[in-house]
Amino acid sequence: MAGPLSGTATERTEAATPPVAAPAPRRAAAAALGAGVVLAKRALMLAVLLAAVFAAVELLPGDAASATSDRGESAADAAARRRLLGLDRPVWERFLDWMTALPTGDLGTSARGEHVTDLLSAPFPNTLLLGGTAFAATLATALALGCWAALRPGGPVDRIVNVTSGITLALPEFVVSVGLLLPLSLWTGWLPAVTLTAPDGAPASWTMLVMPVLALTVPQAGWNARIVRGALADQAGAPHVSAARLDGLSPRRVLLRHALPGAWPAIATGAATSTGMLLGGAVVVETLFNYPGLGTVLAGAVSDRDTPVIAGVVACTGAVISLVLLCADVIRARTLGARP
Amino acid sequence: MIWTRRQALWAGGGIGTAALLTACGGDKDAASSPADSSGGTPRKGGTLRVGALGRASATTRDPHGNQGNESDYLIIALVHDTLTAPGLKDNTVGRLATSWKPSGDLKTWRFTLAKGATFHDGSPVTADDVVWSLRRLRNTPAGASRLPGVKAENITADGKDTVVLVSDDANAELPLLTRLSTFVLKKDTPGKDIPKAPGTGPFKLDWFRGGNARLVRNDTWHGGRVHLDAIEVTMFESPQAMANALLGGQIDLASNVGPVAARSAASRKDVQLVRRPGDMALPLVMRTADGPFADVRVREAMKLVVDREAMVEQVLSGYGTVANDVLGTADPAYAKDLPRRTRDLAKARKLLAEAGFDLSRTYELVTTEDVPGLAESATLFANHAREAGVKVKVVKQESGAFYEKTWLKGSFYTNYWGTNDSVIFLAAKMITGAGQNEAGWSDPGFDSAYRKAVGAADEKARATALRELQRIEHDRSGYLLWGVADGIDLAGSKVRDLPKLPGYGRVQLERVWLAR
Repeated sequence: MAGPLSGTATERTEAATPPVAAPAPRRAAAAALGAGVVLAKRALMLAVLLAAVFAAVELLPGDAASATSDRGESAADAAARRRLLGLDRPVWERFLDWMTALPTGDLGTSARGEHVTDLLSAPFPNTLLLGGTAFAATLATALALGCWAALRPGGPVDRIVNVTSGITLALPEFVVSVGLLLPLSLWTGWLPAVTLTAPDGAPASWTMLVMPVLALTVPQAGWNARIVRGALADQAGAPHVSAARLDGLSPRRVLLRHALPGAWPAIATGAATSTGMLLGGAVVVETLFNYPGLGTVLAGAVSDRDTPVIAGVVACTGAVISLVLLCADVIRARTLGARP
Repeated sequence: MIWTRRQALWAGGGIGTAALLTACGGDKDAASSPADSSGGTPRKGGTLRVGALGRASATTRDPHGNQGNESDYLIIALVHDTLTAPGLKDNTVGRLATSWKPSGDLKTWRFTLAKGATFHDGSPVTADDVVWSLRRLRNTPAGASRLPGVKAENITADGKDTVVLVSDDANAELPLLTRLSTFVLKKDTPGKDIPKAPGTGPFKLDWFRGGNARLVRNDTWHGGRVHLDAIEVTMFESPQAMANALLGGQIDLASNVGPVAARSAASRKDVQLVRRPGDMALPLVMRTADGPFADVRVREAMKLVVDREAMVEQVLSGYGTVANDVLGTADPAYAKDLPRRTRDLAKARKLLAEAGFDLSRTYELVTTEDVPGLAESATLFANHAREAGVKVKVVKQESGAFYEKTWLKGSFYTNYWGTNDSVIFLAAKMITGAGQNEAGWSDPGFDSAYRKAVGAADEKARATALRELQRIEHDRSGYLLWGVADGIDLAGSKVRDLPKLPGYGRVQLERVWLAR
């Protein structure tokens, strides 16, 4: 990903400006330029991704007209629908049309004649809620476990965290889901097995979020705990951390005040890459728990060869991932830029 | 879940009628499952929570549109009435139309509407409403297959309560065709109002959101008393999630959940397993017009090669019945007396040798994964054929590609029909020149039997013609029908009087009630 790359770009602009002498307006202008470059890169990346989506759907066998047709529909009907959906035009032309409408917030029309924005208006916030909660839970768990393990390197906690995080990060979401579903719902009845939808389109009860969030969190928390632990281990050897330790500060204080700040860039980048995994895993988890999110829309749209819907989902999730990556870049830039 | 959209159109079911069932001494016809035999008297009240399969991207609210989702069809079928509905004893029973009468030549059919039928807003249902709705249905892209043989201009009103349909050809089964998607809306309902348009059905729409809905009882339904206060429909993307919701007590009925989920729930005592026999036919189609299967001896050999019991056991997990190469096994007119074909490899080899069938070649059997078991049936058949020295290679195609390239054209492919309750409806696809003649079949004897059957006003002559038609189908047609799948629902222990009809008979939930 471009995360680290653009991070260094920002860093370089900052480094190029003499830290003391430069007047504030020029520094601000340089920072704004740097941010602009990063944003432009992200936008370009998203455009390339969307082009790839259009191309990929084109390569799938069949098209939206045939995939959504009725058995018994005549060839003429199918051809008429193909024209109606614009499928008789070259793919790049459809892509350009769709892209030029995008800035106005128009995501096009689905193969079944609905506005894609309407199709995504309820599922997208639901997926953000699921993904956001899972992201927060992942970060909290990973930080807690990573720090706890780092307090006594090589101690029992460190070893247990090391082994369990290694196992959980390798677990696919559906295995975790089934593993949670049996004991927590079907055997004990503690938690609802699936998500039912309230009249407003959101999950009917917060308890229905618990298992989907856990299913997403467990593998990602394992992955991030290792990153936190690794980053803290790197920092442990840094001169200022050693100095703090030699000064006789408590291990806790050394960890939280001296080692952790330096570990932030690595942790932020790790967490940012998790966003993609969380949203990807949501496709599986949402189906298993009947969660009314983007995953179910995407799965249906792929089997319908419904390019505008697929591209709409990709655009929404792509925007979220870009935003999180941008946050990670900012954290990196601030942390690295703060030190000479 | 792709299969549901195709089945939506072709399932022979539709919505049933409490009205007529009750009127003609209902209880004999009542659809009840074994577990509720202790039944008791229906109790008023309660909310039935139903799970139905569907995909978020495919939701639709138009009763005349392409209902890809079972959940959408279920909701539409509870809010809007069709003219007729499938029945248990009679193939076709009344719904919004209480009676129908053909002209002598079986071309003109007059449907009389139910007395006192009203829309949910209180306005009476008139023949004009029905005519407008049927014409709207007919003018959809797939209208010709939804209401075959009746042109839009030949649907007219005669007075306030009679609708006249004039068929292009004589058709004794025309009322059967009005069972599935002839949903009635108010005349001139604008397109944007369709999702909230009042229907005439047993339930009124309370809310609909992203495929999920709540329906409340229509106290003034023309079809009789409805027991439930409300029905809540939850759409499920996966059958397994739906089964989990039932096992976890979050829903009361998992509609058409399939054999895999049924197996995992079979051991639970508090769960009713409802089998609706004759739900779906899964035939293999052999092209008769040309190609390697044009010789009738080759086709018979293939029919002798298959081990039908093994197919039902392995492909359908035992939830099904062995079939005898005749489509329409759930039809009361189904010829049960035809000799049952069993596996006979020696005879098959002999027939193949006589026909000069090239055993050195490998034959492709094209299949899809549109319905559970379909691709598995192809693979298992290939194994059976190998034992007779016939090399069959299974080729899986994506659904869209299959309907474009293989269906109606291929020489050997799997197929499925969500309707299995009319011998003659399916036979219509086999007559010479039929638009959906899947095997490219043309048989003068069959054509004449078909015409006799559809044109016969006399019951006995019709029965004779139907018997002959099925005999020819059994002996010579391009269909190898090894078995018929059951429809399988799961229900909680409190649910009573669940529908037992195959196909879309499963949406007939207006008689259901909840025990205490």
